[in-house]
Amino acid sequence: MKTLILGLGNTILRDDGIGIYAVRALAARVDGAADCRESESAGLDLVELLRGYERAVIVDAIQLEGEDPGTVFRLKPDDLRITARLASLHDIDLVTALALGRRLGFEMPEDVTVYAVQVCDALTLGEECTEAVAGALPGLVDEIAAEISGGALARVSRPLRERKRRDA
Amino acid sequence: MASGKAVDAVYKAKIPAAASKLRELYYMAHFMHSHAAHFYALAAPDFVVGPDAPPAERNILGLIGKVGLDLGREVIRQREITQLVQQMVGGRATHPVWNLPGGVSRALSSENLETIKGFVPGLVAFGELGLKLFDDLVLANKAYLDLILGDGYELVTNYMGLVDDRDRVTFYDGTVRVVDSEGVEIDRYGESEYAEHVAEHVEPYSYLKFPYLKKLGWQGFKEGKGTSLYQAAPLARLNAASGMATPKAQAAYEKMYATFGGKPVHKLMAHHWARLIELLYAAERLAELVADPEILDPNVRVIPSATPSEGVGIIEAPRGTLTHHYATDERGIVTKANLIVGTTNNNAPISMAVKKAAQKFIGAGGEVAEGLLNRVEMAFRIFDPCFSCATHSLPGHMPLIIELKNGAGETIRTISRS
Repeated sequence: MKTLILGLGNTILRDDGIGIYAVRALAARVDGAADCRESESAGLDLVELLRGYERAVIVDAIQLEGEDPGTVFRLKPDDLRITARLASLHDIDLVTALALGRRLGFEMPEDVTVYAVQVCDALTLGEECTEAVAGALPGLVDEIAAEISGGALARVSRPLRERKRRDA
Repeated sequence: MASGKAVDAVYKAKIPAAASKLRELYYMAHFMHSHAAHFYALAAPDFVVGPDAPPAERNILGLIGKVGLDLGREVIRQREITQLVQQMVGGRATHPVWNLPGGVSRALSSENLETIKGFVPGLVAFGELGLKLFDDLVLANKAYLDLILGDGYELVTNYMGLVDDRDRVTFYDGTVRVVDSEGVEIDRYGESEYAEHVAEHVEPYSYLKFPYLKKLGWQGFKEGKGTSLYQAAPLARLNAASGMATPKAQAAYEKMYATFGGKPVHKLMAHHWARLIELLYAAERLAELVADPEILDPNVRVIPSATPSEGVGIIEAPRGTLTHHYATDERGIVTKANLIVGTTNNNAPISMAVKKAAQKFIGAGGEVAEGLLNRVEMAFRIFDPCFSCATHSLPGHMPLIIELKNGAGETIRTISRS
């Protein structure tokens, strides 16, 4: 299955870089089983980034009220409108990007999973994540690598429905 | 780009001509990328699908359903190309690390230049396509033309924009010019003088400041002749200038003002028309820059040697005049910084435009016209679809709520996007 691992974020804004750091770590782990790409933007650019793949794993930052920094959520397309880049009002969201790509006749991934890491600080200039978010990285990378390779899966992620505040 | 220019000024560095042209080349591609998203994904559905269409249809999918798949493919393709141009020139399309004090970190290779030259005809055609679409689908449709010419979306203010030495629109470098509500020049300043010309009013209910023209003083949220408020966005740039610096964009500029019967134009929906004229200008200016032999000059940086102190950089961002002002110690460590970003300039006009749209579409008895939420949102979307970048708020959901209150201030109805 042609697979893309896409890291979204900005490595000069501390925890906002978690998606990029994850995909860089995964590039050495997946060994040709998936393409690994980084992007600082999303929106309409997602059509080009995702086209031609059957499966996509996207890693991004998220900021939900009341959650502990470093918590990893696993999202599916139905609840994709709330991560840092995938919900920008500047541009279209992931669901629309997937639908647009299909409408335009492009092959777009049917299987899309988003891993979203709860940030502590995504607004301060800095090239390292906070301790809590950096601490989540190894488990996140292990989980995605196992998911890609079909190996034994020890999940650190939680489905979004298990977030603390459903109205947040 | 504004940050790069401000840091040049902090170090008193005069950058090589090729560096300036490379920055502008990168920036024209960025402008096209941004304006294309704003128009096609966010604004055009209101016009082409209709302002009262259900939200499920009033989006880019509805747009291509009405206009055709070829347009959708072209938008995606040309936006991808503008991203590629930015990568070829600056290494990365977003957050490049190539803009340095004294110039840029690397020259353009002749191979990359040839590739970019190959993109030029398609980019210029893409700029023309937007205006043709506007002609065919918006101007030719009486209901949509009325939306532009009607009084629901009108605001009379001053207008600000960066101009070149012939007062034509420019994005990367120039002089800030301000005209009043009748088009008469009332202010003009260079980068280092901005603080003598623009001041920022604070209201307790907002993180975002409300800039105004200093010499006219803060007069509150007042429109009309004599107001100290100004707009700074596509239509404001065109109103503040004598014209466009490239031929096809100039022809489009003349056509727009002929349609409205003169300058300046106060109809807010004309910002979208102006945005398309700017998109074409950016494509034509990109073509001029890649045809300039100096663009390959390897001399792209001077190493600054002066002791850093203070500097200001001003450019036109897609959504308005962008000012960065830094003061540093003798090591170059920033001690003070002030930014007036594009949307911030328009904070008071946005607030007033939203209020006027609400007044227009809410009846005296509290009756709500169909599509009220979107009609109000359209007033906001003219300037910037995203306040979060100006305030650094990350709500994670669409935070638009309309509360209808009666004369006693009691909320009688709340409408929000589900």
